[in-house]
Amino acid sequence: MTRKVYWLAWGIVIVLLLSIPYLLPEIWIHLAVEALVFSLFAVSFNLLFGYSGLLPFGHGALFGIGAYVVALIFRNYPDASLLLTFLLAALGGVIAAAVIGVFSVRLKGAYFALITTAFQMFAFAVAEKWRGVTNGDDGVTFSRPDLHLGGLAILSMKSIHHVYYLTLVIVGISILACWLFLKTPLGNSAVAVREKDVRASFLGYNVFLTRYTLFVISGIFAGLAGGLFAFFEEFVAASCLNLDTSMSVVFMTVIGGPANFLGPVLGSVVYIIFQDWISSLTRHWWILMGCFFVIVVLYLQSGLISLIKPEKVRLWLDRRRG
Amino acid sequence: MDWSIYMIQGIHGLVYGMLMFLVASGLTLVLGMMGVLNVTHAAFYMLGAYLAYTLTAYLGSFWLSLLGAPIIVAALAVFIERFLLRKTYRGGHQLQLLLTFGLFFIVGELMRVIWGTAPLTVPVPRLFSGEVSVAGMSYPVYRLFILGFSFLVLIVVALILSRTRIGIIIRAAVGDPDMVDALGTNIPLVFSGVFAGGAVLAALSGVIAAPFLSVYSGMGLDALMDCFVVIVIGGFGSLLGAFIASLMLGQLHSFGVLWIPKLAVVFQFLLMAVVLVVKPTGFFGEKE
Repeated sequence: MTRKVYWLAWGIVIVLLLSIPYLLPEIWIHLAVEALVFSLFAVSFNLLFGYSGLLPFGHGALFGIGAYVVALIFRNYPDASLLLTFLLAALGGVIAAAVIGVFSVRLKGAYFALITTAFQMFAFAVAEKWRGVTNGDDGVTFSRPDLHLGGLAILSMKSIHHVYYLTLVIVGISILACWLFLKTPLGNSAVAVREKDVRASFLGYNVFLTRYTLFVISGIFAGLAGGLFAFFEEFVAASCLNLDTSMSVVFMTVIGGPANFLGPVLGSVVYIIFQDWISSLTRHWWILMGCFFVIVVLYLQSGLISLIKPEKVRLWLDRRRG
Repeated sequence: MDWSIYMIQGIHGLVYGMLMFLVASGLTLVLGMMGVLNVTHAAFYMLGAYLAYTLTAYLGSFWLSLLGAPIIVAALAVFIERFLLRKTYRGGHQLQLLLTFGLFFIVGELMRVIWGTAPLTVPVPRLFSGEVSVAGMSYPVYRLFILGFSFLVLIVVALILSRTRIGIIIRAAVGDPDMVDALGTNIPLVFSGVFAGGAVLAALSGVIAAPFLSVYSGMGLDALMDCFVVIVIGGFGSLLGAFIASLMLGQLHSFGVLWIPKLAVVFQFLLMAVVLVVKPTGFFGEKE
């Protein structure tokens, strides 16, 4: 019975996600695309934060590099294949993570946070100064090419509905891949290393390699999310690499709840809606967002998702059946 | 002629490096003593600079702002430590990191509300507004004041830590807080004091940096970047390491701008990467 309810709930969620373009006005579809992109980014962040106990304050570096890959490819080769470009964005994230990881995953806690931040600031400085390629603060603009479905059909990306569906499919598959990855022995060993790295290393786990692999895998999805973001915005500038990007993903994950796999997804949806709402009220919405964040850090460490209790629903269903 | 340019750049690097060290020293002290990487430190520094602007304008004296700004910032720091940070000591380092990170953005944005985003200039105090001749070229006296003042502050801090009873208690509390607590010392008070002390160092450096670098809304982030690189290179929580790293970065910055202006920013990160490869814990850092 509960299994049926479980699948039914997922079915409803999927139907709702698919029908969003028909249910909501266009301005909300833009927010939905943004929420999807940041969900993927936050899930990739949480592979490190929630599952291996590392806190990368500079995760925006991987996101920004993915964004630049997509923007620069479409800027210079307007007819490039869409899916191939996204793969290259993910590859960009992987390469950046592989480089940063070598330096950073040997340390943990505050030191890990500090080193990843330093690398992000380095990436920002390069993007800002290397104007010949990145155009600095003015950024790179391009227009979204169409999606060619193997010669069968052409999906125009001028329509925000199509952008939404493309993003939904890519983000959905990626988040599912993250979930499946965590079920593998490697995913389990990451949790073992998080709980007690010394003990795990005595049991024969390679602590460095486990953390490093997780960092690189997180890089795949962070880069991909960045690429999707640039694709949606049709624009990327050096500001995409500054600390605000990293800040937002930290806020989303913590607000949603890092202990739950879907916490970051909830967090990014709440963050995007809350941001849209309060930024229409005041220019200085960061103060409110910051206060919200601090309250969650101090009083609700398992995040908003811990307020949703499926076992209550199950109890209620059981009671109704008598 | 050539020689004197190097001389000037060398002094300039020394001034910048000492200023960087003054900012980083407060961060290093709190990190070394309390184990808290206090991201809000950069906001304290920025607040010091903005208060220098306002207090100088209202009180008409730069020296009063050098006295007043640290007091105000220390009060804010004590408030943060007492009512927010203290709740997280049991929860581990990540929680403290998240909290100070959130506070950095709140305090930074509040400053943007109060002072706006346009850069502000603080006049150089009259006593040091002149120029002196160094190696045949004229050099602003105020920069030499920064150099001297930073040295003075650091010697005072070093003396307090190594020679006074308060210093002994602080160092003992770092080693074994429970034991010191059992011996009758008020440990929460010591922690508040250390945190406020770090904030005072941040505010002092903010005030003296204000006439030199001008006051702008991105100065907190700039300082944070420099501090992080200094701490990584020097070793976590090591004052001596931070000192050597700041002086190295000061020279690197100064001569980088002279020779290859476009890549000057990249150099400090390259240095950081090299140090991390050779010695992941930095020059004087202990493991973890």
